[in-house]
Amino acid sequence: MSSVREAYQIPSSAGAAGASGAASGTRSSAFDIDGGASIHYICGDCGTKFPLKRNDPIRCKECGCRVLYKERTKRMVQFEAR
Amino acid sequence: MAPQPTNTSWDHEYNTLRREKLFRDPPTDRSAYPLLQEAVNPHIESFDALFGDNGLVAKGLADIGTRLFLDGDERAPPTGKNRLRIKCKGIHLQKSQLPPTNKFAVKNREILPAECRERHVSYRGKLSATFEYRINDGDAKEFTREIGQLPIMVKSSYCHLRDNSPAQLVARKEESEELGGYFIVNGIEKIIRLLLVNRRNFPLAINRPSFTNRGPAYTPYGIILRSVRPDETSQTNVLHYLNDGNVTFRFSWRKNEYLVPVMMILKALVETNDREIFEGLVGSPDSKGIENTFLTDRVELLLRTYKTYGIYTMAQTRSYLGEKFRPVLGVPDTLSHYEVGTEFLRRIVLVHLGNINVTEQQDSDKFRMLLFMIRKLYALVAGDCSIDNPDAVQNQEILLGGFLYGMIIKERLDELLSVGLRGALREYMRRYPGRSFTSEEFAKDFPIKIFQKTNENVGNALEYFLSTGNLSSPSGLDLQQVSGFTVVAEKLNFLRFISHFRMVHRGSFFAQLKTTTVRKLLPESWGFLCPVHTPDGSPCGLLNHLAHKCKIMTSSVDTSMIPQLAAELGVVDTSSAATDESVVVILNGRILGWCHPSESRRIADTFRYWKVEGSHGIPVHLEIGHVPSSKGGSYPGIYMSSEPARMVRPTKYLPLAKEDFVGPLEQPYMSIACTEQEVVSGESTHVETDPTNILSILANMTPFSDFNQSPRNMYQCQMGKQTMGTPGTSLAYRTDNKMYRLQTGQTPIVRSPLHNAYGFDNFPNGTNAVVAVISYTGYDMDDAMILNKSAHERGFGHGTIYKTKKYTLKEESRTRSAKNVTKMFGFAPGSVVKAWTQTMLDEDGLPYVGRMVQEGDIIFAYHTVSADYSGNLVNRDGVTKYEKYKDSEQAFIEEVRLIGSEQGNEPAQTISIKFRIPRSPVIGDKFSSRHGQKGVASQKWPAVDMPFSESGIQPDVIINPHAFPSRMTIGMFVESLAGKAGALHGLAQDSTPFRFDEENTAADYFGHQLMKAGYNYHGNEPMYSGITGEELAADIYIGVVYYQRLRHMVNDKYQVRTTGPVVATTGQPIKGRKRGGGIRVGEMERDALLAHGTAFLLQDRLLNCSDYTPSWICRRCGSFLSIQPTVSPFMGRKKTVNSVRCRNCATRLDHINDVDLTKLTGEIWEDGQGNQWIGGEDTTKVAVPGALKYLDVELAAMGVKLKYRVDPKDAPRKGPLLQAKWDVISTGKKANALPPAVAAA
Repeated sequence: MSSVREAYQIPSSAGAAGASGAASGTRSSAFDIDGGASIHYICGDCGTKFPLKRNDPIRCKECGCRVLYKERTKRMVQFEAR
Repeated sequence: MAPQPTNTSWDHEYNTLRREKLFRDPPTDRSAYPLLQEAVNPHIESFDALFGDNGLVAKGLADIGTRLFLDGDERAPPTGKNRLRIKCKGIHLQKSQLPPTNKFAVKNREILPAECRERHVSYRGKLSATFEYRINDGDAKEFTREIGQLPIMVKSSYCHLRDNSPAQLVARKEESEELGGYFIVNGIEKIIRLLLVNRRNFPLAINRPSFTNRGPAYTPYGIILRSVRPDETSQTNVLHYLNDGNVTFRFSWRKNEYLVPVMMILKALVETNDREIFEGLVGSPDSKGIENTFLTDRVELLLRTYKTYGIYTMAQTRSYLGEKFRPVLGVPDTLSHYEVGTEFLRRIVLVHLGNINVTEQQDSDKFRMLLFMIRKLYALVAGDCSIDNPDAVQNQEILLGGFLYGMIIKERLDELLSVGLRGALREYMRRYPGRSFTSEEFAKDFPIKIFQKTNENVGNALEYFLSTGNLSSPSGLDLQQVSGFTVVAEKLNFLRFISHFRMVHRGSFFAQLKTTTVRKLLPESWGFLCPVHTPDGSPCGLLNHLAHKCKIMTSSVDTSMIPQLAAELGVVDTSSAATDESVVVILNGRILGWCHPSESRRIADTFRYWKVEGSHGIPVHLEIGHVPSSKGGSYPGIYMSSEPARMVRPTKYLPLAKEDFVGPLEQPYMSIACTEQEVVSGESTHVETDPTNILSILANMTPFSDFNQSPRNMYQCQMGKQTMGTPGTSLAYRTDNKMYRLQTGQTPIVRSPLHNAYGFDNFPNGTNAVVAVISYTGYDMDDAMILNKSAHERGFGHGTIYKTKKYTLKEESRTRSAKNVTKMFGFAPGSVVKAWTQTMLDEDGLPYVGRMVQEGDIIFAYHTVSADYSGNLVNRDGVTKYEKYKDSEQAFIEEVRLIGSEQGNEPAQTISIKFRIPRSPVIGDKFSSRHGQKGVASQKWPAVDMPFSESGIQPDVIINPHAFPSRMTIGMFVESLAGKAGALHGLAQDSTPFRFDEENTAADYFGHQLMKAGYNYHGNEPMYSGITGEELAADIYIGVVYYQRLRHMVNDKYQVRTTGPVVATTGQPIKGRKRGGGIRVGEMERDALLAHGTAFLLQDRLLNCSDYTPSWICRRCGSFLSIQPTVSPFMGRKKTVNSVRCRNCATRLDHINDVDLTKLTGEIWEDGQGNQWIGGEDTTKVAVPGALKYLDVELAAMGVKLKYRVDPKDAPRKGPLLQAKWDVISTGKKANALPPAVAAA
């Protein structure tokens, strides 16, 4: 659990999946710095998690696998169960 | 001690622990379900037979042979030119691997099938061909060319999954019981259909009226022989009978038909004379055949008419044939006519008897076979033998997918060597006229430059074939269709998937046939094709399924001992046309000799005994078709076959009590008892191992199917394949466009042992439900069923749909010009990222995995990029674009997959998103039991209001008793009984059909089990109303039935509309649910509304909700087309229609001579052009259908004017006027009989 993103985030008013944050306009976050933020992906073959920047080629750093999965979000996912 | 090998025998019990163990620790030695693999094996084996030194493609290359090309001017004679001889020595297929340009994958360079599915690409391996060429008489030179990437069949010998244990397969992201047998093309699993074709190397006697269309004198009689080369390609030879007694030989070559007198073929094959041919057809002078004057007359005529050609010797005939067929065969100019004639015989005439390096013996075999065919033809015409039914399985075999694949490869290579290379050489010679074959530049250019110009991508052609199912072939491959060869192996549920591999199609040619004879279920199919498992509707009877014990041979069995053994048993060379004197003995379309009819049975029986015994070198899979002599029956003889593509099935041979394999040709002439009790001593030679062997895998899954009316079992075979079940366990690695999954699958309580043997518990397909047969509410009419609301809440029938969508930023272009990256995923750097997008998208511009999406939500962001001076991709406009989720149903993001390129050097250009759509049962969803009893959920009835039994059991499902009397699905009652007893005792119930009889009835067996559990013997129970608590007047039949949820759900089907999009021309609603269109109220619906007198409803449907158009019409001239709104010169641009005038009835002011404005009556109005008009005021507004106005315009375009009479008083009357004086009309019969108008006349 090195990066902040890994940890569970308490839903803030801006980030929650609800409609509350819609009006708050723009948020300048760390990722729109040129070159892109690194988000972790899971290799489809060996299962390692590794960061990938925007322009990086799609392949696993360890095994060269060509399929990467996006990790399930750590944010709270809440629905109305009906 | 070595560990026990995985047990592969199964009974009908639950085997819960054993299955659990198999699932947790997949075996490392072998699959526990060998039957599954066996079901698919014909596909895999046929593919495996293609490659290798002795493979079918190698044999095909031998047939293609050497091609010869000459340099220099094409029109000049061949002398003095350089000769280039080239042949393809062999092809080599590699397993699927990463290209060498990919330097990143270090340890594992294999491309596994799972990766191909995930990346939506084809599973293929590099195909290379080795060519050998020699110029003039120089040394042979070899070179190898890569000829594309060939799609590889999964689990074939060129697949990485070959012989993998279940544990390995799971590690490679496959099912533990991965079967293979299909190809992966663009991530979609495709299989080549099995096709029924005519039996090979067997002369079929045919009566086909269309034969008379060949020309004058042609009769419907003919002999068809589908001759198969060693490489499994075929050439059909037909003999036609002409009504003067002559016989012609017909064949088709490169989609053209050719007719040759059969005598010419005979004379060309061997050095012969008329006497030899006569005696070959009729028999020796001392035989009985001579007495057959019908035959002798015709043979005499056959011989006499041929005299007109004046060709006598073999050499003359071959030269003659060679001269005629030289342009057709495409042979080099250097061959003499004689050699071309020989080539003709090699390539076309009875190719199964000698195709490569034809020896004199083989030509003699062809000669004798041709004589036999003529003999059979004359017998057919004389009525001595009956026609053979080409629609019966007896005279059919199966064209396997792998063999068809090989044929296409062969033909592509042939095209490459002849057409492709010729074109490339011609172009080269035109560009460099000075260079001859002997020049140095040519030697350098030939293997590379010239070959590049040929269309050498064989792999692509095969990929096209697999993805479209279309055959693009210059020869047609001796097949009757050009499309529909492949189907998608849909993994809707496992039953459907496995059925695809057992499916046998008769050919799409027969689907268009008006006659239904080809669709008939014939007794010959017994044990080979399932009588139950065929769809109803248009493919009925054409699309069959193999019985589960039916095997398809994929290789030849050894028959080297048979000719000698036959000779020892008394088969001789001399013969007679009289079938009561001598009958033929044929092995694989080669005549071994002849024997007396009385001997033939003994010979056949001896062979059979030896073959089952396994002695004398006779293989058990040999088919020994003994057709006995009969009066006007099939042409007698012993027809043995050992070649691939035959169907065989196991039975028990009684004399040895051993397993024998029976083929479709021999079966009609054998006596095979169904059960041991039915064995007739002295007559029966075989007995079925199990009566259920005649059923397909799916038909075997219907419990107690012998209790049901047969169409119900057919319906179940259909619905079993439409069930929302469990497609597999490796769902996370599959990317099917649409996948259905049942969340709460159970193993059926009532099932047959085959359910376990085929491992269907790994793919549960339904739920055990407590079913009460009662008319309890008003919501169960017409096959509606009521769900217990609590059962629904506990998850009864809960399902999920997975949809995978591939999103690519690459421009889709056929010309691979646009290879550079122009767009990228993610927010454009520096662009304004709105907060609402952040609730939907992650920082990489892709959706959060697990998020809910609704219609209109964005699912990913992208922006344009271009390369800057240093080659970095930068965004210049700072604009972020978004892709929207377009489906109307809410879904959840299940998986987001980033797909890299094969080279491993591309940034993210393609992603695939898997959406999960939860589908809990709603009112209107379709369910069915396993007995063809489908129904629609009509209510979720609260549990408190459901009826309950004395033990407090409530039904999960209520169905109406009216579902039974007319459908007679007694099997469902028995299943209900058995399920109830099984649930009470904790038993799995064996539901194999044909296990009970009149003495030991199923009702009694399960009734006693129920009694032991303290329940009513008959399965009825007293029940109490859930609403009043009173006991119901009748005892209710209640039990446990396995229910399937079908994939047809209202959510995919409901269609509502009040207003919406319309067709522009007519103003009527558009078609199609997706676009918000309407449902057609057709003629019959209109009739129903008319009959009910619901005129207002009719008007509402047909006019008001459709193309209701208020429109102006001129009352005077009755036209829609001449009206026009007046335009006020003072109103400006304001669009108010103050009045509408008829232009036709109005008069233009400037057209009236000497206008006196004061004398004109009426208002002067102006049209848009500023012209002034007067009159035309008699317009009115009427409501008409838009289609009527459209019709008016269309007719006007043709010069037809429609005139509408708006007012009834405008209508002209026909006939004399009505009599006004009523008292004149006499009352009585006369007045009643005729209407007044007629009566007056």
